[in-house]
This record gives sequence, C-alpha cells and structure tokens, in this order.
Amino acid sequence: MPEEKIGIVGVPPLAVIRDLNARGCGIVDLDEPQVHSAIDLSAQYLPRVYCAILRTVVLNAMHLSLDGIYIDVGPGKCDCALHVATILENMLKVPVTRTHNLDDRAFGTPLCRTRMPLFDKFMAITRRVQSAAPATDLAPCPPTAGFWGVPPRDFSILSLFPDTTHIYGWTRCMENKTPADLTLEMHVNPEVPTVFFAQSFCAKTALAHHLARLHPRALFVDCDVTAGGSARAKIEAFLELAGVVSPER
Amino acid sequence: MLLADFGTSYCKILDTAGDGSPRIVATRELSPNFRADLATGHNAGRRSLQSINELTALARGGRRLIGQPDFVLLDCGSRDIKFVRAAQDRIADMGWNAECGASMGFTIELLGNYYHLDFAAVPVPDRGFPVTCGVLGMSSIFDAVISGLSETEAVARFVRGIAMNAYRFAGSPERLYLSGGLCDNPLFVGCLPCEVVRLGRFVLLAGLEEHLRREGERSP
Repeated sequence: MPEEKIGIVGVPPLAVIRDLNARGCGIVDLDEPQVHSAIDLSAQYLPRVYCAILRTVVLNAMHLSLDGIYIDVGPGKCDCALHVATILENMLKVPVTRTHNLDDRAFGTPLCRTRMPLFDKFMAITRRVQSAAPATDLAPCPPTAGFWGVPPRDFSILSLFPDTTHIYGWTRCMENKTPADLTLEMHVNPEVPTVFFAQSFCAKTALAHHLARLHPRALFVDCDVTAGGSARAKIEAFLELAGVVSPER
Repeated sequence: MLLADFGTSYCKILDTAGDGSPRIVATRELSPNFRADLATGHNAGRRSLQSINELTALARGGRRLIGQPDFVLLDCGSRDIKFVRAAQDRIADMGWNAECGASMGFTIELLGNYYHLDFAAVPVPDRGFPVTCGVLGMSSIFDAVISGLSETEAVARFVRGIAMNAYRFAGSPERLYLSGGLCDNPLFVGCLPCEVVRLGRFVLLAGLEEHLRREGERSP
C-alpha cells in the first residue's frame, strides 16, 4: 500500500503526530513553500492581502496530491487558520481535520538557545514538528541577539543574524511543543537586542508590536511574502548599531 | 580616501585628503569608472571598495552632528525616506520607507522644474493633499488644476501632504532634525508642523567619517 501523504498546518497535537508516525505517513509541512508556483495563484481562494503563511498553505494544497490535512485552529495557531480550514475543506476532496493543540508537556528549547546559524535552527525546529521524539541535548550559548516571532515566510532574513541569536516567541513554543503557551511566547530577555518579527496580516503582529514597545533594545519588523531591501537594511543596521557582530557577507 | 554617498539623483563625495569640503555631482553625470573607498547609498555596493548600510550611516552621522542623547533624524532623499530615533544615546527606533515614500524628493524637484517654481517664494498652504507617495500623489495635482486651483497652489498642497507623511513616518516628534536635499526646499521645511533643525545634505558622509574614526580606534 503506498505511503499516505498528509499535510499539516501549524503544530498539530502530539497525539496526531504520533499516530501519523505510527502509520508511516509522509508528513508535509504546508506552512512552508513546497512548490515552485507564484503565490498569487492562491488568490482564487484567498485574498491577496492575507497572511503569506496561509496563502502558502493554500498554494501547496492546490498543487500537492495529499491524502489528508491536519490543521491546527486553536489558540496554538490563529483564527485565520480556522477560516482557511473551511476553504481547504471546500477546495479539496480529502479529509481536512481541525485540531486544537493544547499540549502542555514541555519538551525543552535547546535549539532556540544554542550556537548555530539561525537558518539551521529554524529548519531544525520546523522539522521537529513532524516528530514526537524528545529534543536532542544541545549546550546553550550566551545570547548576543534575539529573534522573536513565528518562522518567517522568507527565511533569507535569518542569514543577517549571528549564530549566537536566541529564538523567542511562537517559534520557541513550537520547539517546546506547547504552541498555545502564551506565557512562553511572551518571554523575552530585556538585556538582548531583539528583532520582533511580524508576518504581515498575522494576528501576532499586535503582540510583536506591543512587546517591542516595552523592550528596551527592540526593533519591530513587518514582512509580507518576501523581505524587501528596507526590512533587511533595518535589521542589519539595528544589529550593527547595537554592537552585535553579524555573520560575514 | 574617497568617501561617497551615492544617492539616486545626486552623489555627495568627500576626499578626506582635501580641504574638507564635500562636492555634489548629479548621479547621471558621474563617470562610470568612479570608485570610492568607503560609501553608502543605492549604488555603494558596485561603486566602492567597502560599503555600509544607509541607516547605519545616518545614525552615526546624526550622532556626530547632533551630539545629543535624544533625537529624531529624518532623511528625505530623492527616492526614499528614512529615520532614526535615539533615546538615551541608543538607537531606539528606525525606519526606511522605499515604497510609500517613493520618489518624494525626485517628484518635488521634477514638479518645480516643470512648473518653473521658486519654492522659496511659494507660501505654505493652509491644507495639503492626503498623499503618501510622490508618484501616486501627482494625480492629485492634475485633478486640482483641472478643477481650477492654480498650479502653484496645487503643487504647494502636494508638498504639504508629502511633508506631513514624512513627519508622521518619523513618529511626529516635537523637534525634527532633517537631512537630505529637501533641507534646501523652504516650502517643504515650512510645511513640517514642528521645530525643524536642518542638517543639510552631508549627514551620511559624516556617518562614513564616523565609521572611519571607529575603525581607526579598533585598529591596533
């Protein structure tokens, strides 16, 4: 029997991931770009002025032959996903299962705090969503910079940060496998120059802006599908002026 | 050493071995072979041996020229607008608007030439057009002229709209340090609803000088 290909959106509950792993299903993270097609093609189902992550979900779903989708629509994801679930259900002929991930068993956040290129950290964290295995033990490093937020649609901005950047916000909750843990999501280190990243049109933009306003060494950055030159320049200048040594370019 | 701020319309060049006076060259008249040692601006990457980010240059130049722990500095260029806000000697906020601030300075210069306006002689209008960008705002001028407004008044309202947009972008401060070519436009400066301190066109060059000084301090 061919392997089932299941799409996931957000962080489905651990019980779902365990079940998919036990059934030997192939898991596809629909939040990430999986196909080489113009994102505007999703406009027949979703408005152009909408979260680029969820537009990517729809674009992927249009092009991939999936056997089913698990989409988290609870407090661990967002209301926009709730409505996208309805759209996916309408556009596809496969089961679309809504989940409300309220998992509260902390798996730890070693990747968020270790020394590693930020791009690799994000890749590892997003990959780990597909596994129920415990976290690998990694030594923490002292933070020289911070990145707060969800995994960006455009990972290229991550190359601007030093390897000693600590990750905060929802991405930290992802690694901890507790996506609805608002206390963990709001945790920041006021001593560390931190970029508060907002994915345009995401509800968490308000939290990013709010926390950036309260943080003594913060930069609020809002990016849509791709990070433009001004966003990149802002991050670069912020880190440089904060005395953070960035990677050689 | 040759320092350069490669702007979209004008390049500001300083030879540190010279008399300390920068020169301004229209970008389209600059030799294609010209190379600087250290530069900033849109073309810095391909026209210099070393380049630094414009926001970094603006912040460092601002600190050097203003010498205060708290300030808001707005740079209005030909193509974009950018600001830095310092609080307690740290950069607390910054912004760079290359999209909605698009072609602001360029459009104002273009309109002045086209309508033969002396901006020093144009009174500040009592209202402005709600425009956010030079390109999109031009249709407001044409519509106003068609409806009977004088060309001068229409352009003045356009400039006021642009100035208000830039002012809000910088966070609506009580005192605004202004840099860039629009420092020399009395109408634009008069339209800003706050105390304006004009720093002129060479703030980014001052930032490059400051960068050199810091590099020198770091060298053994």
